[in-house]
Amino acid sequence: METYLIQRRGGWLAADELHEAARRSTAAGDQMADDVRWLRSYIVAESDGSLGTVCIYQATSPEAIRRHAYAASLPVDEIIAVADTLVVRPDLQPTAI
Amino acid sequence: MDAPELFRITGGNPFFVTEAVASASGSIPPTARDAVLARAARLTDEARALLDAVSIDPSHVELWLLEALAGDHVTALEECLTSGMLVERTGILAFRHELARLAIEQSLAPRHRIDLHRRALGALAAPPRGKPDLSRLAHHSEAAGDPEAVMEYAPAAAAHASSVGAHREAEAQYARALRFGTDIPAEARADLLERFAAEGYLTEMRGPAIDALQEALAIHRERGDLLKQGDTLRRLSRFYVCVARTAEARTAAVDAVTILEQIPEGPELARAYSALTAFSMVSSDLDETLTQGTRAIELAERVGDTEALVNALNSVGVVEVDYGIPGGWERIERSLELSLEAELATDVGRAYLNIAALSTVHNDWARADAYIPPGIEYCRERGLEAWLNVLVGARAESELAQGRWTAAADTANEILGLPPSDISGLREGALLVLGLVRARRGDPEYWPLLDEALRLVEADGVLQALTPVAVARAEVRWLEGKTDPIEAETQAAYELAVETGQPHFLGQLAVWRRRAAIGDEIPVDAAEPYRLELLGDWGAAAERWSELGCPYAAALTLAGADEEEPLRRALDELQRLDARPAAAIVARRLRELGVRGVTRGPRPSTAANPAALTAREIDVLRLLADGLRNATIGERLFVSPRTVEHHVSAILGKLGVRSRGQAVAEAGRLGLLQDP
Repeated sequence: METYLIQRRGGWLAADELHEAARRSTAAGDQMADDVRWLRSYIVAESDGSLGTVCIYQATSPEAIRRHAYAASLPVDEIIAVADTLVVRPDLQPTAI
Repeated sequence: MDAPELFRITGGNPFFVTEAVASASGSIPPTARDAVLARAARLTDEARALLDAVSIDPSHVELWLLEALAGDHVTALEECLTSGMLVERTGILAFRHELARLAIEQSLAPRHRIDLHRRALGALAAPPRGKPDLSRLAHHSEAAGDPEAVMEYAPAAAAHASSVGAHREAEAQYARALRFGTDIPAEARADLLERFAAEGYLTEMRGPAIDALQEALAIHRERGDLLKQGDTLRRLSRFYVCVARTAEARTAAVDAVTILEQIPEGPELARAYSALTAFSMVSSDLDETLTQGTRAIELAERVGDTEALVNALNSVGVVEVDYGIPGGWERIERSLELSLEAELATDVGRAYLNIAALSTVHNDWARADAYIPPGIEYCRERGLEAWLNVLVGARAESELAQGRWTAAADTANEILGLPPSDISGLREGALLVLGLVRARRGDPEYWPLLDEALRLVEADGVLQALTPVAVARAEVRWLEGKTDPIEAETQAAYELAVETGQPHFLGQLAVWRRRAAIGDEIPVDAAEPYRLELLGDWGAAAERWSELGCPYAAALTLAGADEEEPLRRALDELQRLDARPAAAIVARRLRELGVRGVTRGPRPSTAANPAALTAREIDVLRLLADGLRNATIGERLFVSPRTVEHHVSAILGKLGVRSRGQAVAEAGRLGLLQDP
């Protein structure tokens, strides 16, 4: 599996919609555990007031990421291949889902 | 047993762990094989003798066979079953694990093993019920080291396997016969070599099949048999064409004709003319194909050889379609009809294949979609793997061109997952499809695919292989906004296309070079809709692309306009297709024109899954929509038909319908069958 960064822009208006999306994402991911692993997401405030996410996944291919997104009704705006990861400091207070 | 130590030695391998625990020896066996043997050592001598007997057959051992092998010890059967090493189902015994069977078989003393195989041979030759199983007899013949038995059973097993479409099995059996048949009469050996090669032609066309034909040819030469020499050269030519060994294909076809013209004419000469025709067709040589083809058809009709006739009709039809000469499609369709009637399976496959290939080059997607599914079905039923895979590759190209990018990527991955073969163009085509899907979406990891495709075709130099790669790489450069490399990428293919005048290759290459502002002369022979675009009429060209069902090509054509309205239409379409890089290029052009308010635009519907089907259920639904049965769906998804049925029930429930047909209709209505 390779690591990818996924940008999902402005897909949601409020936190509860995001929680619902997270639930769908987990459910879809469980069905595709050999192809897709959701590592983490950062929630982003878009300029128009909506919420987007930047997600880090491990996957067997970009197509697997799209298949997962389709099954979980999540947008995919951009997929970027991660060449390497450099962790300098841990995150502060990640939100548990 | 010490658990951490157990894990360290076995690596957590479930089979190894089970065997180690079951062996219940004081120390943990160092390998899985030792664990199996340790477990077997706990059996009584009688039970062990039974175990040994069952180990020699890779499939299973029937009770009646067991009596022939170890009759005295059958009373110990219960012990074997209780030990868990053997399982029994309706009078048939087998090892629970193939690895255990291998471990036991390999542990047998050679004399004992050979003796068991000999007894199996004797017993299986006269089974109490049904006909002898030739395949198992061939296996035991080899294992017993009995060359005569091998020569008695292996060729027969091969012929039987071939007749039911199990061509890989047939190939392996002929290979076995050839291994043992070193001392048989030369003529008989040549016959086996040719049959071996014929099976290889249907599966993967690798080196050993060609080597076999070379050996057969040498035998015919030595025996001075001109007829068989010529015919073998003709077969070699056919092989060489398929694996893109172009120069050798030509030499073989020419030599075949030269030799066969020395003897009274017959079917073999007609087929040799046909091989020469096929070679000319693959080289896109119109005049030569028509000349040779006319000669082949005339002789084939005169001597009444359908195989040569359909083969030549096919080749002639292809160049006629390629160069816009009327009657081409009809000729190929007639070849298909006659082949179906005469049950010439490989010629049926070739007809479907060429129709599919031509349709993709000519963007005739309606025709492609009409012929590819029945072609796939025909080839699948008869085990014509080589033809099947090429048709699946054509389906990937059809899906790509019509904007069904998820399906195209899935189909391409099917091809890329196949075992290696030498079939020209198969892997390259799939690499290009997957590479283009990724590049068009703006997804990562497309250059490795495109680079591998280029490496694969660089050796060939066959026109048909060069152009698709050059065109795909040119598009990707354009999408990246770097048009300078396009000239170098397309130069070789373009010069070749100008030389042969193949209209579609010419058109495709000329259009990309024009988009890169390379100042070529506009070629007069370019096919439509490329010619319209080259003349500057992007509106008419885009309309033609839309009529052909190619939304992406239409949008790229409109992207060359310098007015707001066509650029906006292009942008809308590209956003609908989720073609991000191309959309960004068009958006930039609009902004350069001074157009305000150009946004990223609506993203394709994210509420595309209102019925909340799982990924697996969507996979099944897509295959239902293709009209596949549960068993076939199961094969595609690697699950049992019962699991498929379970998914189908869930789908019916979630969609609130009562039948599969209704499910497909409802899914279509909800937009679930579209690409996301």
